[in-house]
Amino acid sequence: MLRNFKDIREAARQEGKKRIVLAPSGPAGGPDALYEAAREGFITPVFVGDRSLTDKTLREKGFSSHDFEIISEQDPRKCVMLALDMVRGNKADIVMQGAMEHQLFLDLALNREKGLMQNRVASFVSVFDPPALDRLTMITDTYIHNNPSITEKIAITENVIKLARILGIGSPKIAALSAIEQVNPAIPSTMDAAILAKMAERRQFGDVTIEGPLDIDCAVSGKAAARKGIQSAVTGQADIYLVPNVEAGYLTAQISVFIAGMPMAGVLMGTTHPVIVQLPLTSGENKLVEIALAVLLSGR
Amino acid sequence: MIRTFEDLDRLAPEKGPKKFIVLAPEDEEFMLAVKHSWQRGYIEPVLIGSRDKIERLAGQVEFDIAPFEKIFESDRQGIADLAISMLFAGDVDMAGKGQIPTAFIYRSIIREESKIRKGTMVSVVSLWDIAGLGHLTSLTDAGVNINPDYESKLEIIKNAVFLFHLLGYPKPRISVLSGQREIGDTLESYRDFTKLREAAQGGELGSCEIMEATSLAEIFLPGKKTFSRYSDINIGKADFPEIMLMPNLSTGNILVKLDFVIPCVRRRSLVMTSRGPVLIPSRSDFHDSIVGEIALGVVTADRVRRA
Repeated sequence: MLRNFKDIREAARQEGKKRIVLAPSGPAGGPDALYEAAREGFITPVFVGDRSLTDKTLREKGFSSHDFEIISEQDPRKCVMLALDMVRGNKADIVMQGAMEHQLFLDLALNREKGLMQNRVASFVSVFDPPALDRLTMITDTYIHNNPSITEKIAITENVIKLARILGIGSPKIAALSAIEQVNPAIPSTMDAAILAKMAERRQFGDVTIEGPLDIDCAVSGKAAARKGIQSAVTGQADIYLVPNVEAGYLTAQISVFIAGMPMAGVLMGTTHPVIVQLPLTSGENKLVEIALAVLLSGR
Repeated sequence: MIRTFEDLDRLAPEKGPKKFIVLAPEDEEFMLAVKHSWQRGYIEPVLIGSRDKIERLAGQVEFDIAPFEKIFESDRQGIADLAISMLFAGDVDMAGKGQIPTAFIYRSIIREESKIRKGTMVSVVSLWDIAGLGHLTSLTDAGVNINPDYESKLEIIKNAVFLFHLLGYPKPRISVLSGQREIGDTLESYRDFTKLREAAQGGELGSCEIMEATSLAEIFLPGKKTFSRYSDINIGKADFPEIMLMPNLSTGNILVKLDFVIPCVRRRSLVMTSRGPVLIPSRSDFHDSIVGEIALGVVTADRVRRA
């Protein structure tokens, strides 16, 4: 079981070299972590973009244009399409967002015909390495779906369970969060959480435990849950927190990063191949963890 | 200006004892909180609820309740109605929820507020004392309104601004938090932000300011898309709001209780009525945190009376 970000980086180093294609490359040149990972030898970057700008960036980063493959293409949209083709054709393993707006990049990467989706639902997992715990915790969906339906929540749950298994969490404990811990038809997320918990009880997700609905105090504190009369293997021990909507997810991730100072790395799940998105909540120092997570996802 | 919870704890014995009606103190943690608050000189309790339970709990925590006024009533809505009517009549300075459904208390508050033609929007303001921030901040509404619309948000903001004025903040800054990202459809919370900002600029919300930032990322990384290291983040230097408006109840309730996992954050919550504070501790709160909320109640009750 991988218990912290250091373990994730170590595990990625054991995986064998993966090819990451950065598109579009150019003046931004991707995060410093891309070059750090290349130096450490567990990835090989491939660049798709303006050749002269990419050459210049590589020199600034201490590399030569001969060190890596560069595919010259001026049009940013075509850069991403080429990168996706490479991954689909097994010429690269991972796609990384370069100098392009999030919406356009994700529209291309998650396109059902030409992107990397196969009738699946994409979701974003924020992985935290809380200093006070001896294990990783995850919150999802923190970026993709504004107000996921129960069908989407089932897929979001399946996606995060897949990630948990890759991280070596054999029987993940999952808290399905809502505003209150009682099922109340006036708050639909309490009913969604109850459905997910019942599905887990019937082993529709395999070897996992889901408790829900839980409010956050019951989810994070066994003592608080006991005060409310809730006895569960999940309370105070959750590996994964399912949030009811993106407002809760995105803002919880932000408070955890900016006020709690909790190290965070993000992973896009639900694609056929790993896709690294450049979101502002990941510090430069944790971008390497995002690359390592993509390496671990690759081929699984 | 009250900047920290220590300020409240220092002021509470000076401003106390306040007459505090305790609704159904039928739980050990809550009775302990009442006992400790009385011992500190914060309150003179008035106990209302089931005779058997009150006397049994008081005995369990070795609290001699003989000197205090007691009202024995077993009907839950009856307890709420009587207690809140006493608050509005000025018979007590503040009220606090024990083992009674919160909805009963909100119903009683709305009834009393409508009698005096004040706003009838009940909302919970949860104060956060964040180490190193240098002022209090708050999250609202994290307790009542499931999906507040624009009109409701106006009232929720007014309630929080009223509290911050009482706490000595002449022009509190407000961030209308939203989960709006660079992708996806525009969220209702973001559309409301634009309208609320215009309302504040037009003077509709009184003395306050609605900030440009609608996310923590914008507060901490103004004009930037990313950050290098955690050591770059300095909350003391951030333009951090006094009031953070929650987009909906689910988000508010999750965010407000993150103090359970963030050691540098402490929380105290209340409902501010026009006649005084009503404390609504969570059923998962322990007696020390309830004592802290009572201190907040004492100070705000004192300032409501003076105002």
